[in-house]
Amino acid sequence: MKSKDQNTTPVPEDGLKPIKPLEISIKQKVLDQQFTKVLVDVGELQLKLPKGVMIPSLGTEFGADVPGVEPEPVYGARARANIQGNKIPGFNKDHQHFLFFKLGNLKRAKQWLHWIAPLISSMEDVLAFVRAHRAMRVRLGVKEPPMCATWVNIAFSNAAIRALVSRADAEAFGDQSFRQGLAARSTYLGDPTRRRHPGNVRNWLVGGPRREADILVIVAADDPEDLVTIVDSIKGRARSAGLRLLFEQRGDTLPGALRGHEHFGFKDGISQPGVRGRVSSAPGDYITPRYIDPSDPRARFFAKPGQLLIWPGQFLLGEPRQHTEHLYNSAAAATNFPRWAALGSYVVCRRLRQDVPAFWRFAIGVATALGIPAQQFASMLVGRWPSGAPIMRTPATDNAALAGDDWANNHFIFDDDTRPSTLVPIPGYPGDSFAQASADVLGAVCPHFAHIRKANPRDVPTDLGKPHDSLLRMILRRGIPFGKPIVGIKRPPLRLLKQERGLMFLCYGSTIEDQFEFLTRRWANSPIQPNFGGHDPIIGQRDTRGNRVRFIDVPTPGGTRRVNIKNEWVVPTGGGYFFSPPIGAITSVLGA
Amino acid sequence: MALLARFDTPDSLRDLPLGSPFYDNWHNFIDVRLQPATAGSGGGEFYDPTETNVNVIAEHSLTWMGFPRDLMVATNRDNRRAAFTAGENRDVQEEYCEWNVWRNRAGKITKVIFVTETPEYWEQMWAVDRPTVVALYRTLVSPAVVEADLHSGGVYNRRNSWNTTNGIVHFIQTINTLGAALGLAQGSVNSGAARDNYEANPGPTTSVDPRVQMDIGTLSRRGLSVTLREPIGLYIAGYDDTGWTKPNGAPVDNYWRVVRGSPGRILRLEYEVPSSAGFVVGDIRIGGRPIEWGGQIAEHVTCTIAGVAGWRAR
Repeated sequence: MKSKDQNTTPVPEDGLKPIKPLEISIKQKVLDQQFTKVLVDVGELQLKLPKGVMIPSLGTEFGADVPGVEPEPVYGARARANIQGNKIPGFNKDHQHFLFFKLGNLKRAKQWLHWIAPLISSMEDVLAFVRAHRAMRVRLGVKEPPMCATWVNIAFSNAAIRALVSRADAEAFGDQSFRQGLAARSTYLGDPTRRRHPGNVRNWLVGGPRREADILVIVAADDPEDLVTIVDSIKGRARSAGLRLLFEQRGDTLPGALRGHEHFGFKDGISQPGVRGRVSSAPGDYITPRYIDPSDPRARFFAKPGQLLIWPGQFLLGEPRQHTEHLYNSAAAATNFPRWAALGSYVVCRRLRQDVPAFWRFAIGVATALGIPAQQFASMLVGRWPSGAPIMRTPATDNAALAGDDWANNHFIFDDDTRPSTLVPIPGYPGDSFAQASADVLGAVCPHFAHIRKANPRDVPTDLGKPHDSLLRMILRRGIPFGKPIVGIKRPPLRLLKQERGLMFLCYGSTIEDQFEFLTRRWANSPIQPNFGGHDPIIGQRDTRGNRVRFIDVPTPGGTRRVNIKNEWVVPTGGGYFFSPPIGAITSVLGA
Repeated sequence: MALLARFDTPDSLRDLPLGSPFYDNWHNFIDVRLQPATAGSGGGEFYDPTETNVNVIAEHSLTWMGFPRDLMVATNRDNRRAAFTAGENRDVQEEYCEWNVWRNRAGKITKVIFVTETPEYWEQMWAVDRPTVVALYRTLVSPAVVEADLHSGGVYNRRNSWNTTNGIVHFIQTINTLGAALGLAQGSVNSGAARDNYEANPGPTTSVDPRVQMDIGTLSRRGLSVTLREPIGLYIAGYDDTGWTKPNGAPVDNYWRVVRGSPGRILRLEYEVPSSAGFVVGDIRIGGRPIEWGGQIAEHVTCTIAGVAGWRAR
């Protein structure tokens, strides 16, 4: 029996010109065999970390000031204690729990806020831990030193702010999407319009009509038992305070070698913006360690190779923002929010269900038609190999050593040849000796549809002009997988296959509309933006009057071939738009 | 690859009978604006395909947003309403995409028409066949158009009332011309000493100019010979009405109409709800927000110009 995808050319309803489709035909038995093999192969990958690298606990050693760049704001102890820690520097814990509450009696809810406020982990708490953890790692020579912490953060919907503070304050938030809420914006993000579709907002586990959460609490811990203890405590106190738990979701990083990977098996979260700003006025004491030598002009806008520096106002309200026309100059801080909300951030939470077999079966089918290994084609969809190694630097095979090298695994641009960076001396680090990426302006190596090229076009000009504009779109991603993995399991039993798994996507920014929504709708969901080439096959959603077919234009030696994507492997099942307030406002404003 | 024999009209339009001198005139209009070869950075060049023989190895289409970026970034994107309000004036619609808005007595939008046609095309037609130009205006804008409305002293008036206050046929914004677009493309091969796009920072705050400058500059840095793809034109590549809803919350039907051009090469695009639907464009919501300005639609209209690149034939 053959599994044949007719892959017919759709009648364009969006004004686009059709392209000749690729014929996909594969025997079911072959498909099943390859699927089993892929699951095992992906689970067996091992990162090779550089050995003997000595990173000090304080950032000052790797933070030489760069002449000619505007001074960055100092986030002293008071500010650090006021900024919630999951946005900067990020919890990054193996175990997390998300609690979605509905407000009940406001007076009691405010009392609960006074109870939980001291539990909220600040940037100060998390940064101190991160630095101590880094030092301990070096001292003990192990990847994961035995250090434990449990952290809590909180965020509020616009409706909650309206109820707890005032209508005027709720309306003073300049981001219209936040004021509308995720449910109202769902189909704008490409979510299914058909009511029966599991991803339709009416079928969401949380966040749909009349199931929109007022408060999101995020609990993170190294020790699962600690996590359960504090989650139970928060839930108990919330129940007593009349808050209704609408939904809860446990998240865990994948086990073993797949730690840090999402359920399709790919390393996630490698490319994050580097937030500008100092921890103190001591020379070089930056929030984001700086590894580019000041003699390299790129030190002005990169923290380390591939990590762009972004002014903090892109993530914290009221702080200097990224200039729209310049790589490293700042722009005026936003003022379109209530004064008490300064140092707060917008939060987007999306519960995304992942259908791992559907993804890999698609990849195997197309790869067979193209005559290349399934992992290679799947890596073209992502833009990185499962290990995290970028295909721009290793187009033909995965490279675990490159993947494990944090100074190399994100160092590439698309349009021109990538030049080596000059790094400050890093004790024990031999340098980036991997082959540098060659120019790929036409998307022959990393296709224009590849997820990492859609979400972060880097040096490529876009439909909004110069790449400088893309810096304003960057978000701080803080997601974690949920559910048990099947990658790494040779023959996952049916019971396991049927279980739900996915990603609790979470991101922080200073505008939902121009960051998360822009990236999602304008780039991931569009076949022609920022470049022609198809939809983002990983996170892209598309719903044209109920038609959810997407496509990718695959570069092949014989020319571009269109592949229609009829199945869906990422389905939204819940979420919400929230605001992560400064910690002081939890009691002084929201709980007042 | 053989030399191109003649530059064709945008989307190979045949508004005039074959054999009309207009087609040679149109070819000449483009031809005189392109140098046989303009040397660029990195050994690349911009070439005239009727004079320079290049083996084309790739096509590259550039896209940009129809709504003027400059209006948005003027407030760091904090005030979208102000940008949309300002954007209703065609004199600021500088992204090679212009639109006109029609409203009913209640002030609600009933129709929006987008064009990417250049004034030069219409001037060239006017020069050889005035009656056809008048006939096209009557078809596209109003049966009331008469020849006298379209010129002053015999010279075609780009800003005639049927292309400004009473309708829209082609660009009027001063830099929205094919001549400017050709100059932009041709001049973009030189990106100075920039080794990558982080080192090249074109000044304009539009979407289209840096897009063209940097894309062509990049190809030139690869040593490639670059030109615009036939038929040369500024086009609407596509539109996106996903997440747009009718007053009852259901997804909108397909209310787009390609009036001139073809899929991927649209020159005139109309958005209007049929009267049988019982509501108007202004009743539609985009992501939950009512359409109050044409610019809200222009944000979801993507423009394009296509290029080709290759190596000089020996």
